[in-house]
Amino acid sequence: MKYFIKKIVTLIITLLLVSILAFLAFQIIPGDVVHSILGTEATPEREEALREELGLDRPPVERYLNWGKDVLRGDFGVSYRYSKNMNEMMPVKELIGDKLPVTLWLALLSVGITVLIAIPLGVLWAGTKNKFLDGVLNVLTQTSMAIPAFFLGILVTYLFGIAFKMFRPGAYVSYKTDFGGFIHYLIFPAIAIAIPKIGMTARFLRNSTLTELTSDYVRTARSKGASEKRILFKHVLRNAMLPVVTFLGMIIAEVVAGSIVVEQVFALPGIGRLLISSISTRDFPVVEILILYITFVVIIVYFIVDVLYRVLDPRIREK
Amino acid sequence: MKVFNMSSAKGKKVNIYLIIGAVMTGIIVVMAIVGIFWTPYSTTAMSAKERFAAPSWQHLFGTDNFGRDIFSRVMKAVGTSALISVLVVAISAVAGIVLGAITGYFGGVVDAVVMRIVDAINGFPSILLALVIISLLGKGRQNVVLALAIAFTPSFVRIVRGEFIRLRDADYVVRARLMGVAKPRILFVHILPNIFSTFWVSVTIGLNNAILAESGLSYLGIGVQAPDATLGSLLSDAQASLASSPWYALAPGLTIVWTVLGVAMLSEGIGKLKK
Amino acid sequence: MISIDNLTISFSGKKAVDGISLQIEPGEILGLVGESGSGKSVTALTLMGLLASEGVMETGTIDFNGTCLLKAGVKPDQKLLRSFRGDQMSMIFQEPMTSLNPTMKVGPQIDEQLLLHAKDDFKSAEERKKRVLETLEGVGLRDVEKVYDSYPHQLSGGMRQRAMIAMAVILHPALIIADEPTTALDVTIQNQIVKLLKEIRDREQNSMIFITHDLNLARRICTKLAVMKDGKIVELGSTEEIFTNPQTDYAKKLIAAVPGRKNSKSAVHREIERIEPILTVKDLNVFYKERSKKLFGKTEHKCVVKNADFEIYPGETLGLVGESGCGKTSLCKAILGINNDITGNVKISTVRPQMVFQDPYSSLNPSKSIGWLLEEPLRAEDILEKSIKYTKETRKEMAIDMLRRVGLDEYYYDRMPHQLSGGQRQRVSIGQALITKPSLILADEPVSALDVTIQDQVLELLESLQEEYGLAYLFISHDINVIYRVSDRIMVMKKGEILEIGDRDQLFDNPKHPYTKELLAES
Repeated sequence: MKYFIKKIVTLIITLLLVSILAFLAFQIIPGDVVHSILGTEATPEREEALREELGLDRPPVERYLNWGKDVLRGDFGVSYRYSKNMNEMMPVKELIGDKLPVTLWLALLSVGITVLIAIPLGVLWAGTKNKFLDGVLNVLTQTSMAIPAFFLGILVTYLFGIAFKMFRPGAYVSYKTDFGGFIHYLIFPAIAIAIPKIGMTARFLRNSTLTELTSDYVRTARSKGASEKRILFKHVLRNAMLPVVTFLGMIIAEVVAGSIVVEQVFALPGIGRLLISSISTRDFPVVEILILYITFVVIIVYFIVDVLYRVLDPRIREK
Repeated sequence: MKVFNMSSAKGKKVNIYLIIGAVMTGIIVVMAIVGIFWTPYSTTAMSAKERFAAPSWQHLFGTDNFGRDIFSRVMKAVGTSALISVLVVAISAVAGIVLGAITGYFGGVVDAVVMRIVDAINGFPSILLALVIISLLGKGRQNVVLALAIAFTPSFVRIVRGEFIRLRDADYVVRARLMGVAKPRILFVHILPNIFSTFWVSVTIGLNNAILAESGLSYLGIGVQAPDATLGSLLSDAQASLASSPWYALAPGLTIVWTVLGVAMLSEGIGKLKK
Repeated sequence: MISIDNLTISFSGKKAVDGISLQIEPGEILGLVGESGSGKSVTALTLMGLLASEGVMETGTIDFNGTCLLKAGVKPDQKLLRSFRGDQMSMIFQEPMTSLNPTMKVGPQIDEQLLLHAKDDFKSAEERKKRVLETLEGVGLRDVEKVYDSYPHQLSGGMRQRAMIAMAVILHPALIIADEPTTALDVTIQNQIVKLLKEIRDREQNSMIFITHDLNLARRICTKLAVMKDGKIVELGSTEEIFTNPQTDYAKKLIAAVPGRKNSKSAVHREIERIEPILTVKDLNVFYKERSKKLFGKTEHKCVVKNADFEIYPGETLGLVGESGCGKTSLCKAILGINNDITGNVKISTVRPQMVFQDPYSSLNPSKSIGWLLEEPLRAEDILEKSIKYTKETRKEMAIDMLRRVGLDEYYYDRMPHQLSGGQRQRVSIGQALITKPSLILADEPVSALDVTIQDQVLELLESLQEEYGLAYLFISHDINVIYRVSDRIMVMKKGEILEIGDRDQLFDNPKHPYTKELLAES
């Protein structure tokens, strides 16, 4: 219990720190936001009015506190770049709301594919005595890790989209109109994200299993007369999975990052594309919220991983 | 019995990974260096007649939408990509050694503060962090190097720190303290040489991550800006004509894969040298 | 009944076991003794059918009560071997911590033995559990229900080893192999485990193979000994016969090297003039910082050495004996000024005292040459002391001179540590400690990681250097026999407290503290 309180406190502090950093960072950037919104031909009065409207004339601390209060209340501010219509600015919340499910589903699919393939593959690999299979898997996984996500995306597009015509590149189907079609389209970018992660995870699990197989307790189990299969599944697997759990946490965080790039390749309207375009157009309210959001997801993932690790390892559980 | 065993002729096994890795990266290095001074065609020479030419003996990798020779462009791009990646790793490795050595050996408040920051950054995917930094600093070559260096330093700090913690109470370090050896000398003469085998492996891994991250940034269009080109930005250009001329995308893409594989082999080879 | 005939095992062409033959009768405890690399463990693992896949059985057969388990040139029948392992023969390993699965409760780990070999003899899981609990009681564990539901890390080292033994005996195997079963344990626990093994043998009349490097221990437990060297059995006979009347040169050498009261080398009693101490420790308390586990708790100071009070005189050896975690090393660090979290007084009247460590592999910097290592103290001294100035040549001369004094050739000057054996490294270590000519050396288990004959040589070196330089030693060991051999006076420590300090022979003849008596039971 004490452990959880401690964890949650650190979690909140980290979020607070990131929010301050994100906010401050975008305060000290050179360049006048108002200037870039209105263009160079705007009158000083018009600029002043906008500045006041956006609250940019207040001191930074006050602005941070106001911003923080708003965020906690669920008001994420307005975009500098997008507007609803001539008179109304676009709330960041609405801007993000639409795009969130796309990225979320993409990440979920990728992680799902990774875990489903990598874990059996890693165990099979560790268990095999076949030198040829070992070599093939070594080369395959090594190569999979050497391909950048976007190149994989392009390869997948070419192979499944252009050559086999299993989907139409660029023809994204919204989850609102056709969920099945949406998932069907997402599978291909998810494969592109998953391939290198499968390589990494399978290698990691294989190495950790092989290390465990040389440990003393395995020798004990053999001396009891247990079969190799029983040793692998009853004794080794759980111990070998321990480091893999932490590793998977890292992988999930990287999948989030990977989806940013891959969304670009497959023209998916997720938060990754929004982030890139907001960065390019210096739409800071959007960038701030997105960073905060991604940090939040990453921290939660690490938290879950930590808890899982504790459940699996009795040695840590006690402390 | 085993007199004719080639691999153990001198009691030493041939380090196949090291050889393959050295050859693969060697080719890339030669390409990059030659590319600085000479390319088969000018990278800017356009030719309306030769748009989207397929690979041939004249144009090894074909030509692009402006009829420029892709092989020449890849040669130049390899140089830029490699330079950026090497700079990134050099900066973050040196920063990692200094910070890691100090925090690892001395511990205490400095360690606690630095590690908090390092952990916070480390948990964050590096390409995302680089994106944020670039959005603050603006695009351009120096900023890409800086952003990636900041994003990569924490992992080096962690590795070096871990090694220093492991070794700071090693018997031979305790003895050096007993002899009255000065602290900087203990850090950099007594301990540092012993972490190199681990360190070189992480340098090569870092180099690969830098190559991948840099190409990702330039693919997204927020890395190096035109007229400079890296492998990532070539790929981005190539994507538009993927259906009609797939080799355009394959050339820079496979070059990245080749390079990263080569460095990974080197890394594995170095890891095996250790034993 | 169990016979090994002409067994030869090789690892990539190198013979680890070379044509040995052995018979083990029921009720017999056969000791396999010898130094590291002599082939003891390989023999035992082969017998269990657990030889690593790199090992090749070149000649020989292993016969178990009329069943041929292994035969050279015949592919081992894994199914047959598995049915014997655990059921007919079982094994106890050295490290009880790592030898048990860390993520599995102890009870189910023992139960697995029943599941694998005697599932049909039990009607239900409850019956099996009952049997496991009985066995746990049989190996002297209390509160067995709790032990059953504990993970290995929740038990002490002694309890873990008892659980390992329970696992080995639950099916009453005909043969139990114990591979250094007490080496990782403290002396008092070691005595209990040895007693337990003997009891089991008396009760069940099974055969035992007891592998150890510790000849004193072998003498106490084994009925028969096989002395091994370089994969061969050099001498085989009853324990008393071998100890009192060894036939071969190697056995003679080995027996002579065993430290202890019975060893002639420790008979010398020296008169030491105790006028001006070289080290005075007064009311010394040593603390150790421990982070509190509470949320906002402060760091706590744990007292690891309490009220230490003693002195060492020039030319004398003070032996410090105690179990792991008793504060021996903390005391050392406090004396040397590595740990400043102390109260009380430490007075040293010599130049920087130096230390010799236990592990010869970690006490020499692996990235430096032997010459560099020997010169480094001089370089440091050069900077620290204004009055001293060494040229490069003097340093080299001094290093080579020191090499000779510790019994090594000039030739080692350019070697790297990994090219040296354990004993040679320990010599270099001693040389490095002595090169700045301190008159006090702290030796923390300096021979504990060495084989008995090498141990003997290093002890001799330490003794001759003591004479040559008039050195004083604070000599730390867990091994009461080594302590007996080297010490003039002995200090006994437990849980941070010095229980007793006195003249060696007085202490041995007339121990005052019950703990000391328990320790001496082993000598």
